[in-house]
Amino acid sequence: MDTQTNIRVPARPLSARAALLFLVIGIAIYGAVFWWSERLVIRTGHINPFFKITTAESLNLDWVILGASHAMPLDYADFNQFMERETGARIMNLAATGAGPLYNRFILEHFLAEGGAADVLYIADSFAFRSPEWNEHRFADAKLIRGTPLDLGIARRLAGYVSGEGVAPGALADYVTGFSKINNRDRFKQDTWEGEAQFERVFRPSTSADARRIEYLFPDGADDDATLERYLSELHAMIEIARDSGAGFTIIKPPVPEQFQRLLPGEERFDAAMGHLAAQTGVEFRDFSTFLGDPSFYSDTDHLNRDGVTRFFKEELRPILAGAVAGHQ
Amino acid sequence: MLFTSLQFFVFLPVTIIVFALVPARWRWGWLLVASYVFYAAGDPSHTIYLAVVTAIVFGCSRAIAEAERPAVRVTSLTLGLFVVLGGLFAFKFYDFLAGEIEQALGLVAEADAAAPVLPRLGLTTPVGFSFYAFAAASYLIDIFAGRIAAERNAGRVALYVAHFPKILAGPIERATTFLPQVAAGLRFDSALVAPGLQLIGWGLFKKVVIADTLAPMVDRAFSTPAYASPVDLLVAVYLFSFQIYCDFSGYADIAIGVSLLFGIRLMENFRRPYLSRSTAEFWGGRWHISLGRWFRDYLYIPLGGSRSGAVQRYANIMGVFVVSGLWHAGLGYGVGWTFLVWGALNGFYQWVGLATAGLWRCIGTRLPRLGSSAAVQVLRILLTFHLIALGWVFFRAATIGDALTILERIWAGLARMPALLPAYPFTADHGLAAGLIAFLMLVEVLDERRSIWERLAAAPVALRWAAYYAGIFALLLIGTWGSREFIYMQF
Repeated sequence: MDTQTNIRVPARPLSARAALLFLVIGIAIYGAVFWWSERLVIRTGHINPFFKITTAESLNLDWVILGASHAMPLDYADFNQFMERETGARIMNLAATGAGPLYNRFILEHFLAEGGAADVLYIADSFAFRSPEWNEHRFADAKLIRGTPLDLGIARRLAGYVSGEGVAPGALADYVTGFSKINNRDRFKQDTWEGEAQFERVFRPSTSADARRIEYLFPDGADDDATLERYLSELHAMIEIARDSGAGFTIIKPPVPEQFQRLLPGEERFDAAMGHLAAQTGVEFRDFSTFLGDPSFYSDTDHLNRDGVTRFFKEELRPILAGAVAGHQ
Repeated sequence: MLFTSLQFFVFLPVTIIVFALVPARWRWGWLLVASYVFYAAGDPSHTIYLAVVTAIVFGCSRAIAEAERPAVRVTSLTLGLFVVLGGLFAFKFYDFLAGEIEQALGLVAEADAAAPVLPRLGLTTPVGFSFYAFAAASYLIDIFAGRIAAERNAGRVALYVAHFPKILAGPIERATTFLPQVAAGLRFDSALVAPGLQLIGWGLFKKVVIADTLAPMVDRAFSTPAYASPVDLLVAVYLFSFQIYCDFSGYADIAIGVSLLFGIRLMENFRRPYLSRSTAEFWGGRWHISLGRWFRDYLYIPLGGSRSGAVQRYANIMGVFVVSGLWHAGLGYGVGWTFLVWGALNGFYQWVGLATAGLWRCIGTRLPRLGSSAAVQVLRILLTFHLIALGWVFFRAATIGDALTILERIWAGLARMPALLPAYPFTADHGLAAGLIAFLMLVEVLDERRSIWERLAAAPVALRWAAYYAGIFALLLIGTWGSREFIYMQF
């Protein structure tokens, strides 16, 4: 009975000097590739909040908008400039896909370290308060990391989130080594989110698509009050941070289609908790979730399209944004 | 723990450093601890079954070795094999077969599928069980046959079963070669570091650069065969042939390379299989060599092998391939009858090969120049590849119906291919896939004549290092990391 154990790779003594030289050259090449990838981040950047902060001409703003993907249509195409023209306010939208309160705190802290805003508008999605998937786990998302320019302040802050907030160490390792930026097959494509390409689209309602979307948004369900409390405390922390910088804070719930709204789990509990937080902290909380129930205002199951965002802005958002600007003056 | 995970890239250096630091006589013990940590990283509860199987195998092996009465030896062997292989059968097939029997006998209507008539085990199959069960079984049989003395140290037997580089997807190493290496004393050999790292690098390249680049295109077409175009399906079949090769042989290369870092040589598991000139050559010594030899030594030869009569020989061959098909069930693509068809189809290839062997010998004798011409060799390689690829359709498809749909649609579209291909929306991913496969085959062709590693060793240092850096940075720049399990370790 023969079993072949011969390995067709010739064994040879390893020279420590050669190994060290190989390593040094390898590190040098890695450094060069990292530098090139970092340049590409700046060249292809678009949607990432940290990219926006890094490349902004001015960080002296009237409004900073935070939230998850439901806040992002306000910055699609030319809509942010449109809102600025209409209100006279300088607005920067720093919302990020799937970002819950913990990730938004991370963004806000970095923003306030680099600049300032008179007001913060937080667009609150209930799903973002219901799972670590949208909070701690978001820090390790390769797409978010690869769009975030290398910055010592971000790295230091991220280290703090790793040691104090339960963010995976791999997220920090990925960020400081630039691995996700180097290992990016879309390195030459603009850093956009697929939702922006559908901004002009009108979605045809689908019950099964709604159900799948709800399942995706609430991977841990909506029954765990401890999780809700955990992330409400992060929102509370954001309010405190904003106030310490002298900024006001407003919370709104974004519009969603009527049939989608009906499927959202635990909304009453969430609304009550938000109302309580608003009363406790004295911030304004306005619920627009039922403002545009017609699905023709949406580009997919739950994101506003151009018509929707225009109507929402003209009827509800403009008074808030412009009113505050008048107040600042 | 995946070989492609960040976790593993922390685990491996730590394990090697401690291995090099502990006294030589305790190194096997450290390797055993590391192996259990590696295995437990996936699901800690799976270590219980691993430990139970190891304990029973060790107990049976001692009983076989120490028993004076043949009946006790036979009973001990039977008990050990029953636990190991019976467990394998129960994990793999019991629930599936119970459902099939219920349906065949009309015991349960579709609507009541949630309330089965026959009891179900509902067991979560321990990862890698197909592999370590066969290793454990071969240990018992080898002791019974007197090919190896029963190991007195239970820890070393445990290491043989659980050695972390091979536990999840092989190679199915034999105790006859593994245990003597452990007994001789494990040492950190700096001369094996470079070859070990080369194999790890090449294995990673095959897995994360080639296999995982091809996977999404394959998955798309195979998930909805009725809606995919004939070109989609044809491309997917070709790509899957290379995906499964790079995925599985990539794992084997990494396993062999990692094991070398601990001074343990594992057997070669793949030898440029797509350069085979016949399906007999493919299965006989180029694809999943450790499994092929296991079946040869522990099933085909005991059944009579090629020394029995013609009918018996044909039956033995088919039996081996059908059992091999059953063994593969559950490896990544669920448990289903497709694997039985896949095994039988490959058995049928062997029948045809055996039946026509005389004819080919005759042609080779009459026309020696034709038989040895490069064109005929290339044709034989291409024919063998396509026969194997045909089998992969059954391996990869979710059901026999899906497999037949794929073949029907490809067949129906074959005549229209010259018109369909130019109109097909090939993407950059297709271009990358074609380039990677061409590169792979170039390396394999060169390696067939002379080991690619020997060529590199003989090359000027600048060229050699440039090749290493190119490989490493290809992994970094275009590798698909941490997203996909190895196909063969999913059972």
